[in-house]
Amino acid sequence: MSGEELQKEYAILERSRKDPRAFGELYEKYFDRIFNYIFRQTDDEDLTADLCSQTFLNALKHVGRYEFRGYPFSAWLYKIASNEVNKHYRKLKTEKVFSIEELRIRELIDQANVDWDDEVIGRLMNYLRGLPTEMLEVLELRFYEDKDFKEIAFILDITESGAKMRTYRALDRLRKNFNLRIKYDGKE
Amino acid sequence: MMGRNEIRLRRDRMSSGHIARHRNYDELMERHQRHLRIRRIAVACIYIILLISLLAIFIVSKQKKHNPPGKPSTTTALLQVNGECQMVNEVPSPRL
Repeated sequence: MSGEELQKEYAILERSRKDPRAFGELYEKYFDRIFNYIFRQTDDEDLTADLCSQTFLNALKHVGRYEFRGYPFSAWLYKIASNEVNKHYRKLKTEKVFSIEELRIRELIDQANVDWDDEVIGRLMNYLRGLPTEMLEVLELRFYEDKDFKEIAFILDITESGAKMRTYRALDRLRKNFNLRIKYDGKE
Repeated sequence: MMGRNEIRLRRDRMSSGHIARHRNYDELMERHQRHLRIRRIAVACIYIILLISLLAIFIVSKQKKHNPPGKPSTTTALLQVNGECQMVNEVPSPRL
């Protein structure tokens, strides 16, 4: 995101403090992304709609407290969304659902020139099932939302090195399990 | 959270057109306005309770000033002495 875009967003936020209607522009811009992000962690459309609405409501309520700390506004929204999802699972006390898109996984597997068949899918699902939630959260933000480590660290309230470590560990396991050669940040 | 998770696979991400059914900024604004209203009412209630408490403290302290605890309060009594009614001031009120 360019500096100009960041400034534009910040100007909208400034206006939103006095007139909440101004927040609508950011709502329209980020609704789909936040919806997909939550949907991937719930796989329930109605629940996602509720959590998404709550995310934007919380953002609007606390827009006066928002301070620019070098992250785009979207990172703040992701953070609120992540907290809402966690709150929901804490209340429900059930295991977390990760509903992932096949197409994105296929892209990753295709990079490794591995044939996409039922056996690979089965192994991949088993591999993902065995990953701890923390790793899945990081992988989701990295590969589905294209967030950099600095932003991931801010969203999940962890250190940047922690975000990197979780991603590399997950990818190492993936490489070992599938004998893949996934290009990642210039490394193979 | 270290527990195992349920992993589901789906074809593709939800389309923007499909998500649009859930996008409703007017409803969000309505909820926000409701929240602001409730907050204003809550703040007003707190101020009123605070004001009433301060007023009560003020009245009680003023009453205590008029009747210091050491000095017994006096009353005026109408006594009948030898068939004549007499107004007597400074009759100590009975202590309970």
